[in-house]
Amino acid sequence: MKTTRILYHLAWADFLERTRRYSFLVMLGLVLWIGYVSASGQFAISVSPNYVGVINSAWVGATMALTASFTLGLVGFYIVKGSVARDYVTGVGQIMASTPMSRLRYMFGKWLSNYAVLAISVVILALAGIGMNLWFGSGGLNLAVLVAPLLLIALPWLGFVAAMAVLFESVAWLRGGLGNMVYAIWWLTLISVSTVPAAVTGSSLSPYLDITGFQIFTDSVTSSARAVYPDATLMSFGAGLTRVDPGFFPYTGVQWTGEVLLSRLLFLLLAVGLVVLAAVLFDRFDPARLPRVKRMASAQEPAPAAAGEPIPAADIHLTPLSAAATRFRFGALLAGELKLFMKGQRWWWYVVAAGLIVLQLFRPADEQLYPLIAAWVWPVLILSGLGCRERRFNTRQIVYSAPRPLSQLPAGWLSAVLVMVLLGCGSLARFLVAGEWVAALGWLTAIVFVPSLALALGTLTGSGKLFEALYVLWLYGLLQQMAAIDFAGVVPDSRFYVFALAAIGLLAVAALVRGRQVRGI
Amino acid sequence: MKLTISHLGKQYRRDFWGLRDMTLELGPGVVGLLGPNGAGKSTLMRILATITRPTEGTVHWNDTDILKSPDTLRAVLGYLPQDFGIYPNLTGQEFLEYMAAIKGMDAKTARRRIEELLVVVNLVDAARRPLGGYSGGMKQRVGIAQALLNDPQLLIVDEPTVGLDPAERVRFRNLLSDLAGERIIILSTHIVSDVEATATEIVLINKGRQVQRATPDKLLDQFDDRVWQWVIPEEQLTGLKQTHIVSGTVRRGDGIQVRIVSQKAPAAAAQHVEPNLEDAYLYLVSQNGGGQ
Repeated sequence: MKTTRILYHLAWADFLERTRRYSFLVMLGLVLWIGYVSASGQFAISVSPNYVGVINSAWVGATMALTASFTLGLVGFYIVKGSVARDYVTGVGQIMASTPMSRLRYMFGKWLSNYAVLAISVVILALAGIGMNLWFGSGGLNLAVLVAPLLLIALPWLGFVAAMAVLFESVAWLRGGLGNMVYAIWWLTLISVSTVPAAVTGSSLSPYLDITGFQIFTDSVTSSARAVYPDATLMSFGAGLTRVDPGFFPYTGVQWTGEVLLSRLLFLLLAVGLVVLAAVLFDRFDPARLPRVKRMASAQEPAPAAAGEPIPAADIHLTPLSAAATRFRFGALLAGELKLFMKGQRWWWYVVAAGLIVLQLFRPADEQLYPLIAAWVWPVLILSGLGCRERRFNTRQIVYSAPRPLSQLPAGWLSAVLVMVLLGCGSLARFLVAGEWVAALGWLTAIVFVPSLALALGTLTGSGKLFEALYVLWLYGLLQQMAAIDFAGVVPDSRFYVFALAAIGLLAVAALVRGRQVRGI
Repeated sequence: MKLTISHLGKQYRRDFWGLRDMTLELGPGVVGLLGPNGAGKSTLMRILATITRPTEGTVHWNDTDILKSPDTLRAVLGYLPQDFGIYPNLTGQEFLEYMAAIKGMDAKTARRRIEELLVVVNLVDAARRPLGGYSGGMKQRVGIAQALLNDPQLLIVDEPTVGLDPAERVRFRNLLSDLAGERIIILSTHIVSDVEATATEIVLINKGRQVQRATPDKLLDQFDDRVWQWVIPEEQLTGLKQTHIVSGTVRRGDGIQVRIVSQKAPAAAAQHVEPNLEDAYLYLVSQNGGGQ
């Protein structure tokens, strides 16, 4: 009883803290938008060669469950991650650590709070589904059939996502930007594996391995389609799959066999296991259990009294400065921003960066894709501080009360451009030597676009998380030769120059947002 | 050099004003802002530091409207917020260099000034260590140093002595006294003795409004015959607190020596004592309905 009460208060207080933040409203807006996109058919299920289900409760339920699994599986992680980090930053963690509260209770509380936030998103998607069913559907609304996939497939998976967020926060090196990237890569791998169709692998994925639930829907949707159209083959789900003049088939829904239900329960139990693991790994806000680098920084704390030979208090005097001592000096500001960027990187960071540059120099101009992408992903944690560093380190009041506070924005942007230039200079040299002018132009577009994107997202969200996740996914897309998102001219015939214009728009957004922040927090 | 605040107000919610109808004209010297928690001191300071926009009223720096031209004031402003952060990977020296660049100081002047400031705030030995390893008091001293970088004509310091040990507090007070003659310094603190030691003028704020403005001497003059002291048995203390403003107690062998502020003698044994600023502060705040 006592444990339940503690857990309830832990989770509830954390939940309230989140839901009263501006970022929660942003999240609600995002989920509403996802719900709208899904309900309006822009996220759609279809079966090759050209079949879709009749819009009924089962079809809508499947669409919404897959929407929840795919979008919230990634976005949801970044939405809920940060709760433990907040306790570190605010110091609340140390207060909690001085109480009898156990690590397991604390982690369970955080997990429940994470889960509650994601569950709200599922409710919003369910409501969007009900609207879709009533508006476009035939055969009336069958609430149980519509909601069942969300409850039995999406929710256990999101429980796992909520637990992953807790686990990442319990491990010091996964708590920050590196963890954000690791999760994005993990998610990409998971989605790639779980959506490989049975036709490719030769066998259907076992429900016990199908954590996103994609295969469960594949089996039921394709069998419904084949009942009407024997030539129906593969199920797809995603954006832009709207078919022209498709054939319709009635979808009867997932067969909730004991095996399917048991597999979902097991994933929920697996989530609980992750929470237990998180509790084991959690340092309980003990600075002595911080990684060696951070601990060393703390250990350097000198006693105030030992700091130098004290001068007599009566002798304190500051020399007046001349009135002309201050004026706008962009060079000094740029140097300061560069120092802020590069300080705190360990020696091996520079070694790897140098290695990546050398690698570019030794590869021919037409084989620069991988070394260049690797070099540009390397400073992601530096770039993600753009526009949000003042918020992250609470220096806003000091920086914004300085003369011309907006000038700090272009200085920060330019220092990020210089970092990109430095890390990609090997490729540029190869492009120029080989006379690859289009590739060089693409390179130029990239070094302008990426810092602009980081700056805009940083100022808008006040955090580097969105940029970190988006940038990694974006570069993954470039490796897959996706022309539509090619900002670096690495995909043949892509319209990369559009991103130069986008960079201007992003800079304008960043300036606008920062201007508002400076005029009144 | 003049800072003119006229009918300044900041509304946070429909039914809540953090600051209301504040009017002040300040010249060189140290103005001590006193008031209970939530009185509106930090709101006033953030408005003056061009961080927060007021809902109503104006602020002029030497006849320039700072709401329209905030950079005019920012060029001569030094601001130490109550709650501020630092970049943990930079050393103390690097952080001050960065802030000097942000404030537009040239490298040579900045270098000289930083050297001098590091001595003044007693951080010479720690200057080349990462800020992430600084103690709270050391971070506070870095904050003080950054506020003084550009030799500001208007220095706004919000709770500057929080986290400082007694020796550093005295040091900071002396620094303020040294700086006071040639600039306007606005000092907000709960530590009344800090104000007593440095302020040339005191503004008492409560519930977002100005309650009193006077020099320390004039403020104390009002309490010349209102502070009493005598010894009572311990069991009478609770009752006394309910009927009088108790500004101090000292445990003694024969009971508790109490100090109260009252217009009339509270007891036959009570004797007049010299008033101090804490007596005046407690009395004036209680007369204006206590804190928020």
